[in-house]
Amino acid sequence: MISFVLAAIFSVRPSPIVDLKVMDNPNDEGGQIVLKWEYRKDADLSQISYIQIMRIDKMGTAPIVAEELKPTAKRYMDTDLKNGHPYRYFIRVWFKDGSYIDSAISPPVVPEAQWLHKDRIAALVILLLYGALLIYYLKKARKGERLTIRPIAGLQAVDDAVGRATEMGRPLLFVLGLGTVSDIATLAGLAILKRVAMKAAEYESDIIVPCFDPVVMAAAQETVKQGYLEAGRPDLYNEKNVYFLTNDQFGYAAGIDGIIMRQKPGAIFLQGAFYAESLIIAETGHSIGAIQIAGTSSVTQLPFLIAATDYTLIGEEMYAASAYLSRDPNSLATIKAEDWMKIIFIGLILVGAMLETVAGLTGNKSWSFIKTFFAGGAQ
Amino acid sequence: MNIFESMSKIDRRIIYLILFIVATVPFLFKVEIPMKPTSDVVEAYNFINSLPEGSAVIISADYDASSMPELQPMLTAILRQLFSRNMRVLVMSHWALGVPLAQKAVEEVAREYGKKYGVDYVVLGYRPGLQAVMVSMGKDIPKTFDNVDYKNRPLKDMPVMQGIKNYDDIGVIIGFEAGSVGDFWAQFANARYGARIILGSTAVVAPDLYPYKQAGQIIAVLGGLRAAADYENLVHHKGTATYGMTTQAFVHFLIIAFIILGNIGYIATQRKRRS
Amino acid sequence: MKREIPLLISFIAGTLIVISLFVPHPPFNKMEETLNSWYIIVSGFTFILGIDSLLLYNWDKIRRKSKDWPFALTVILSFVVTLVWGIVSGVRTGHIFSTNSTFRNYFYLYIYVPLQATMFAILSFFIASAAYRAFRARSLNATLLLITASIIMLGRVPLGNAVLIPVLWIAVLLIAWVVLLEIKATTSASTRVGYILMLILMVVIAVPLTKFLYGNLSAATDWIMDIPQMAAKRGIMLGLALGGIAVSLRIILGIERSYMS
Repeated sequence: MISFVLAAIFSVRPSPIVDLKVMDNPNDEGGQIVLKWEYRKDADLSQISYIQIMRIDKMGTAPIVAEELKPTAKRYMDTDLKNGHPYRYFIRVWFKDGSYIDSAISPPVVPEAQWLHKDRIAALVILLLYGALLIYYLKKARKGERLTIRPIAGLQAVDDAVGRATEMGRPLLFVLGLGTVSDIATLAGLAILKRVAMKAAEYESDIIVPCFDPVVMAAAQETVKQGYLEAGRPDLYNEKNVYFLTNDQFGYAAGIDGIIMRQKPGAIFLQGAFYAESLIIAETGHSIGAIQIAGTSSVTQLPFLIAATDYTLIGEEMYAASAYLSRDPNSLATIKAEDWMKIIFIGLILVGAMLETVAGLTGNKSWSFIKTFFAGGAQ
Repeated sequence: MNIFESMSKIDRRIIYLILFIVATVPFLFKVEIPMKPTSDVVEAYNFINSLPEGSAVIISADYDASSMPELQPMLTAILRQLFSRNMRVLVMSHWALGVPLAQKAVEEVAREYGKKYGVDYVVLGYRPGLQAVMVSMGKDIPKTFDNVDYKNRPLKDMPVMQGIKNYDDIGVIIGFEAGSVGDFWAQFANARYGARIILGSTAVVAPDLYPYKQAGQIIAVLGGLRAAADYENLVHHKGTATYGMTTQAFVHFLIIAFIILGNIGYIATQRKRRS
Repeated sequence: MKREIPLLISFIAGTLIVISLFVPHPPFNKMEETLNSWYIIVSGFTFILGIDSLLLYNWDKIRRKSKDWPFALTVILSFVVTLVWGIVSGVRTGHIFSTNSTFRNYFYLYIYVPLQATMFAILSFFIASAAYRAFRARSLNATLLLITASIIMLGRVPLGNAVLIPVLWIAVLLIAWVVLLEIKATTSASTRVGYILMLILMVVIAVPLTKFLYGNLSAATDWIMDIPQMAAKRGIMLGLALGGIAVSLRIILGIERSYMS
């Protein structure tokens, strides 16, 4: 009799959950298990009220409800688990009539932390290649080999701009943009600031640096001081000329415009990370006839700066500024390595595009191996 | 200075004056250009209409005053659709200064439709920690906001929050984006928790969001003033976006006219210089 | 030592962040988050530096009665009023942005917001004057840029189609004018023939091109934005990424140190 009833229960209503897959979440710090499942094709989902993800921490103990989900869910990630401990799962499906059915229990899965993020292997390979090239060129530079770099008009104009402003008896204005000190554009801007400060000290010109970020202000003060020191004129350095303006985007733009209109600088340098305020500053600078040299990594602002200023350093030209201006062989070596990396990238893009075309034409996905290799690192 | 020279060197103050006139006229006289709503806007509109009445909708105002002209009319228009269909509205923001702007819009529209705070809408406010907030909302929305609204009033007493646990209980999240928060909505709320998302953004940000639309991670991208104007059109309530769009068109035409004038002057003066 | 310790800190912090990108295993998993939190805490304190700098700089101007000192006074007054009003309003109503907060209802909505919107709106004036000045047919490249920009500007607004045909024909006439000037100026017969052929070609192309654009303006705009524009942008971004790695390596390895004294 009992066996008959049991058989009836199991045969009448099989669990709507099929294909429950439980695995350790890859590429993480551990403590996470991923569950994926499907619903039986003939299951009537409208009869299901909700489903419960049940976890068995230890065989022989009662299962714990890890989460309640809607019957449309097909994936769940259980978190805050103990690494190295086995967990088993099953899914309890609750029907609108108050009854429930459990799925089969999964085999035990142990969450673990990984030592290598497998999706990022492509990035690691690129980084190692870059590192190898860098070491090669650093060694070459140490041996005293001359490394050359193409002339960059905007950087060549820096000295002239300072000279011209001095001749006109006007100060220099240096704007570092909205970046923080962790933005590469700001750091590149600081390298240019140092050169401008050195020239300003040489010509005994004033240099005004209104800042958006207090940390950048502190760094800019040090940079200008160092520039004056290296030019042999520490006596001329005035800390009050490098000051904090505001931490509000358009307030900053308004403040800079005010400085431009009142103090009429002879040369304006816009070097750093810029957003919508770039043109507001650059056009005001143009209206007073100042010579303007801009440089930014903000791609969307480049067209505005190119239209409104005399010289614009486009992205990486700005990043190359410190190496270009200092001619330090070690810095030049990094640029050389960067150039070779770029050639490798162009090669990869060309070969990849050709292989993708072949894959598309033949329908054979195995041609897409370059894309497959690099797609993993997309995140 | 002959006519060609003056054409190539129009004083910028004259440009500014003419531009000012061209920009203000459509607002003063409510000039309107007929437009067909773009497909994305129609998709978003239809999706919201397809949600059952009383569904909960999250409004995330991730912008501040400088992007207000583009995003505020979009928000207002969408709120009109939501309240007219008796949806429950949860207002939050990932930008601290976005909260008062969204609050202003929701209060104004709620008053029009006779909706009550705590019953039909609630302002959850701002919580720092972008990704962490999105992930935490995937598990427990009230807990993410410490179970209180922006003025520390308990959420459990508010009818608007009844039955809301996580993203599964939210009909749609509508983000208004002036920066990169939209990317995170797609990457965290959708990719991890399958949340349904519509993103309204400034025109500058929109191109960054289209890949998520193509990947099916978000339902629609509402880009810039044009989308706001289209939405106003769909909810039959014309506002600043509609007239702003006229202004935008006129200003574009004006700039092209100036460019043409400048070039005629430039070419003519070059010829003179050469001869 | 004054130099070595900061360099060592840069080296260790930079290397740890790079490692944490590839190693999800503890303790590297929380490295970036931890270092970022430290940065946020430190930079929070530096705001005191910023406020100190702002107040001192402007106070100094007032004290010395230097030129434009009323502006400096405005800055200090605005700072104090905003701070005090914000705190008082926040304390009184429970939240600085409460519906009954005077800070929100008067200061934020009716001073701060319009000021922000105004500064942003000024941009449209500056775009007009910059476009007027920059878009000149100085060379073939500049001419192509000019025509493309005009197509985009028309494609992005309603009624653009209606204005398209006259604009394109004016552009064609302008180019023809330039070519004619070149024909007149050149002395070589072969160059002259070349220019004449170019002129004929242009007129022949102009008619179908205009027709095509008239029917497909919005599609053409999207194509320009999605293909040539995106290609150029990606090229710059690729350079930026590589340049960024180069700068970062220079800093991590202590080659670049212009940001410290």
